[in-house]
Amino acid sequence: MSVTGITEPDLGLEVVRRRGDRARGFIARGLGRSDGRVGVAILAVFAVLAIAPSLFVGPLQTVVTATGSSLEGPSSAHLLGTDEAGRDVLNLTVHGARISMTIGLMATLITIVIGSLVGIVSGYVGGFVDTVLMRISDFFLVLPTIVLALILAPIILDIIGPEAEFAGIRATLLVIVVVIGVTSWATTARIIRSQVLSLKERMFVDRARVIGASSLQIMWRHIMPNVVNLIVAQAVLTFATAVFTETTLAFIGLGDPTAPSWGELLNSAQSSGAPGLGAWWYIAPPAVSVVLVVVSFTLVGNALDDLLNPRTRRR
Amino acid sequence: MTDHNRIPETVALPSDATIAPALAAEIRGRRTWPLPKLADPAAPLLQVSDLRTHFRTERGWVRAVDGVSFGLADGEALGLAGESGCGKTTTALSLIRLLPSNARIREGKVELFGIDLVQKSEAALQRYRWREISIVFQGAMNALNPVRRVRDQIAEPLRYRLDQSDKAATTRAVELLDLVGIPRKRSGAYPHELSGGMRQRAMIAMALACDPAIVIGDEPTTALDVMVQAQILQLLEQLRRDLGLSLMLITHDLSVIAETCDRVLVMYAGRVAEEGPVSRVFTAPRHPYTRKLLASFPNIHADRRTLDVIPGEPPDLVTPPSGCRFTPRCPYAMPVCSEVVPPEVRFADGVRVACHLFPPTDPDVVEVPPTPPTTAPKERASAPTAPA
Repeated sequence: MSVTGITEPDLGLEVVRRRGDRARGFIARGLGRSDGRVGVAILAVFAVLAIAPSLFVGPLQTVVTATGSSLEGPSSAHLLGTDEAGRDVLNLTVHGARISMTIGLMATLITIVIGSLVGIVSGYVGGFVDTVLMRISDFFLVLPTIVLALILAPIILDIIGPEAEFAGIRATLLVIVVVIGVTSWATTARIIRSQVLSLKERMFVDRARVIGASSLQIMWRHIMPNVVNLIVAQAVLTFATAVFTETTLAFIGLGDPTAPSWGELLNSAQSSGAPGLGAWWYIAPPAVSVVLVVVSFTLVGNALDDLLNPRTRRR
Repeated sequence: MTDHNRIPETVALPSDATIAPALAAEIRGRRTWPLPKLADPAAPLLQVSDLRTHFRTERGWVRAVDGVSFGLADGEALGLAGESGCGKTTTALSLIRLLPSNARIREGKVELFGIDLVQKSEAALQRYRWREISIVFQGAMNALNPVRRVRDQIAEPLRYRLDQSDKAATTRAVELLDLVGIPRKRSGAYPHELSGGMRQRAMIAMALACDPAIVIGDEPTTALDVMVQAQILQLLEQLRRDLGLSLMLITHDLSVIAETCDRVLVMYAGRVAEEGPVSRVFTAPRHPYTRKLLASFPNIHADRRTLDVIPGEPPDLVTPPSGCRFTPRCPYAMPVCSEVVPPEVRFADGVRVACHLFPPTDPDVVEVPPTPPTTAPKERASAPTAPA
């Protein structure tokens, strides 16, 4: 190896290309993984359905606008049959995607933002701040999500009224989002804090301080990029949990009956006795949708984790 | 290091080159940034006097650095030698106070351009960190953030210390990497994609970012193989000449000092044992510790079985021995050694020794001034190589 003539090994890295090329390379690499490709494909389908459900199945059917009779099996008119009120199950399931995915994403956002923030600050600053933040997170860690939701949802609904809306989102949904977010950030914070505790003892943190980086800059530029893989993994897990929790809450009757989420559908299927009547077409679509979204999110999460971490990135 | 380890294109700076005042003025004239406001243009670059840095522990104060004085001239390379725990790194880090929280500089002066940095507050010292004195850290892999591109990390001191924009800082970072021999197209690489030598080069680029007057190399070649080590040393030497840097090289590898430095400071148990031009100290060591240290270094021409070792171990610095700290291990120990701290005496050839074997009354000895002169009073005839 001569001083100047260092040959560049072909690492397949787009270090010299411009930004646009790099972004394209990133996506290409993500799609190059078969699991990532499957996950992205499934998510894309559900995202399109969630954005414009009416385009595919027409406006949301209500009891009044129902097009079929009670609990019809699948037919050419109703591909996935009808529910007890004669509404098309396909129509309801597609419209349910919006509610379920919105709740999942919003709850994940709340969880990840609070969790990462608390975890990084607590781990890096340490001392008194750490103690206070961790005692608070302990408190939320021991609160069971479902029980808290059972208590909070009616109280909040009582205070603000069930018809209240915030930015087009009904209060009921907001309550669910808040409850899920509030109860799951503590786990994320704990996990990230433990990683930060080990990271801040690394020499590059000392080096950054020496060359003049402030604590904020160190946390943002040096600590955060090192825990991105944890954050992504947590986001995926939280999204899956949030969709499940929403389903559970709706299933036990704490959802919004006018906004058909997948949990809401399962709830009404159960209460109308669909399982006993053999109406599988009423139960299967929302249940399979929940499973598909959760699985595809996990796949995408795994692929992202590998892509965002330069050390494990495939070459 | 022996000759066959040198790489062919090495352009050797005379290893005992003395930096003439004229050159010092020229080096200062080429600074990118003006001297600090309070700087005295006539003052020596760095003058450390009677520095005492102690660590507070449960057992008491550890006197890691206990009365160290030395100077550093513009463009000069000073090697700090000594065994582990003798205070080399603590001495160097005390200059810009990058010390663990339990360390205190209890006495002494660190004068940079005549400005005493010990008196400066933490905030005021920020002006000097990295902009005047920067460090090439030991173990480049650990000092680089594994998930950030190398050029972004090199750009950091420019952003934080000089408030440059992201774009300007990145451009400059790529130039710096080019300067230390990392091709432009590799500048976007992550640390793990570079070899050990290239990572060390990147650390050197980071140290050069703010165009400092002094670069401290804390064991910069320790983890590298001999070939890469030679390249890094050659790079440091070349940069020193081209950029007019002053180098402080901390190492326990005496061959590195012999090859790179003008002067060497041999430390033992927190004090200076011997200091002087490399050519003098390494060929005619005076302090018994220096003699032992040189004898315990393997020589390719000598019989391996005769390798000397220094019996005993360094003293506990919480309760150091009174008098000379080397007394318990010294083959020439006299009764006076364990009672009286030996005064530092200076010889006509610029070597400074603290040992009772050389009392101040010795006819060869020149009286030591209160603070030793920055440059060794050597024959100025050997004109230093002018910077390219």
